[in-house]
Amino acid sequence: MTAPLLEVENLSKSFQVRQGFLGGSAGRVLALSDVSFSVEAGEAFGLVGESGCGKSTAGRSVLRLVEPDGGRVRFKGEDVLTAGAAQLRQLRREMQIVFQDPYSSLNPRRTIGQTLAEPMAVHGLGSASEIASRVRAVLTEVGLPSDAAQKYPHEFSGGQRQRIGIARALVLQPELIVADEPVSALDVSIQAQILVLLRGLQERRNLSFVFISHDLGVVRHFCRKVAVMYLGRIVEKGPVPAIFNEPLHPYTRALRNASPVPDPKAKVAMAKLEGEVASAMAPPTGCHFHPRCPRAMDICKQVYPSWVQVSKDRGVACHLFPASGVATAP
Amino acid sequence: MSERGAEPALVVENLTTEFRIGGTWYPAVRGVGFALGRNETLALVGESGCGKSITALSIIGLVPRANGRVSSGRVLLDGRDLLALDEREMEKVRGNRISMIFQEPMTSLNPVLPVGFQVAEALRYHTDLSPSAARARALELLEHVKIPSAARRFGDYPHQFSGGMRQRVMIAVALACGPEVLLADEPTTALDVTIQAQVLALLAELKASDGMAMIFITHNLGVVASIADRVAVMYAGDIVELASVDELFANPTHPYTEALLRSIPRVDRDALDLRPIPGQVPPITAMPAGCRYADRCPLKIARCSVETPPLAPVPGLRGHHARCWVRTGDGAGAEAA
Repeated sequence: MTAPLLEVENLSKSFQVRQGFLGGSAGRVLALSDVSFSVEAGEAFGLVGESGCGKSTAGRSVLRLVEPDGGRVRFKGEDVLTAGAAQLRQLRREMQIVFQDPYSSLNPRRTIGQTLAEPMAVHGLGSASEIASRVRAVLTEVGLPSDAAQKYPHEFSGGQRQRIGIARALVLQPELIVADEPVSALDVSIQAQILVLLRGLQERRNLSFVFISHDLGVVRHFCRKVAVMYLGRIVEKGPVPAIFNEPLHPYTRALRNASPVPDPKAKVAMAKLEGEVASAMAPPTGCHFHPRCPRAMDICKQVYPSWVQVSKDRGVACHLFPASGVATAP
Repeated sequence: MSERGAEPALVVENLTTEFRIGGTWYPAVRGVGFALGRNETLALVGESGCGKSITALSIIGLVPRANGRVSSGRVLLDGRDLLALDEREMEKVRGNRISMIFQEPMTSLNPVLPVGFQVAEALRYHTDLSPSAARARALELLEHVKIPSAARRFGDYPHQFSGGMRQRVMIAVALACGPEVLLADEPTTALDVTIQAQVLALLAELKASDGMAMIFITHNLGVVASIADRVAVMYAGDIVELASVDELFANPTHPYTEALLRSIPRVDRDALDLRPIPGQVPPITAMPAGCRYADRCPLKIARCSVETPPLAPVPGLRGHHARCWVRTGDGAGAEAA
């Protein structure tokens, strides 16, 4: 087996937070702690969790749009975090990002053609006419008319703007795309269009994705592997759909059970999880999930559970699964 | 249309609401009608711009006056037509007999007033409770919506609450006077799924205990399945399908409803063929003649682009209505089944 395209190891990041009038007292938010995952070429890897769980920070750290405090990110064997400016520029040609809100990520005063041509000009790829024909080709590939190049962002609907956001990521022919909630702002019928487009691109270009979403249904549809995050840590990781069909971690189970399903017969399954996500500034001791966990034990309040590799491609951090031998599934 | 025998809590008839764009009035909601039974939850579901929120704002008299107007229809509550009331009379009804909660509670709560005060304010305005009685009742309400240690948090400000807790405060304000009808406009859309499940369960419980009727607006068919008794699917200002929740999901009849259900990736099963709906909703300024869904519809026949189909009974299905020439036609001879 060849090395994965992207390897992320023990990533950590904390943010300084100022509170109060005049930014008085300061605290630290632990956004990422010991986050590790890897993505194979042509694979879609999902990061799921609720707001504030660190999934976006993890995705952005891969591109160094956020500078992690510690850990390692390797892309095709190259160390991303220690790369110098020139090397990083080269790496970012091959790793691109698509944001949730395509409107705020497009310059309203530039035509779509200008926006799409800029990255190629920055990287010195081709003459003006070569760039123009490349822009047309990419617009066609994402399903937009080629006259879109002359228009401005406000002339497009939300779904079309997301196609533009995808086109912008594609012009440099990247191998990896970090997609940060790419369909969350879209209506369901448009969301399905974008998912089908992304799937087509993945197959045609053998693209890899780090796909960040709070929607388990979308992740189940798009990703082959997924990591579930809670308060800055990965609590469970494994292949789709096994991880949703037989979740090991009580949080994965709760998340799945709380995800609404379009079937009135399934509503009994919407079991409630008590309590709310704790503040990342003061995460609970031990396992961060224990105050809400229906199966919490004494040890959960004191010790953060270590990572246990349950099978070759599946792991979990939960005291129900002690390192020596696997306990009965919950 | 109410199938519950008793007098409905709210009746909406032929409601049309228009907005002025570039000097011309365009309907955003077109001839919408339904009856809401007592203790019933009717979901209005549809995508952005389908008119679901405008329907609710029209019912409660909050359509922006600067460029909007309710141009026809009746909204009957307690035997009175709310659309015929002047603003002073409507203020006595709103927040009292009928109230509304919104998607983002932070923008509906006053940031400089304690939450307990805001719940009590609704009571002071609509009832003749003394200040201390209103405070006591407000505290009961905060406990009723399950705010943990409500007494201690009575004097806290909205920014000190999480999103889910703010929505609970909004619900307490809305329920303060024991309304007959609660309008809930995407109340859980801004919340995380585990919190959404808590708020949905709370609303279902309150509906049962307080005996109110609810119009629940959402774009999420999963949420519809978990909370609604009956569902109205809206598209481009029209109700295109109306049925009980079990009926709608078992026998989706309008091609739009069918297509919507096929375009949702589900967590509980593999969506092998996610089939998106081609094209997009036509803009309000350029609505086509006839059925507004026709251009995206695989079943389209010549008649669809000419005449608007009526919301007609679906042959063979009780209490199930759809607006489609191909599937239901004009509904002649269908009701017998």
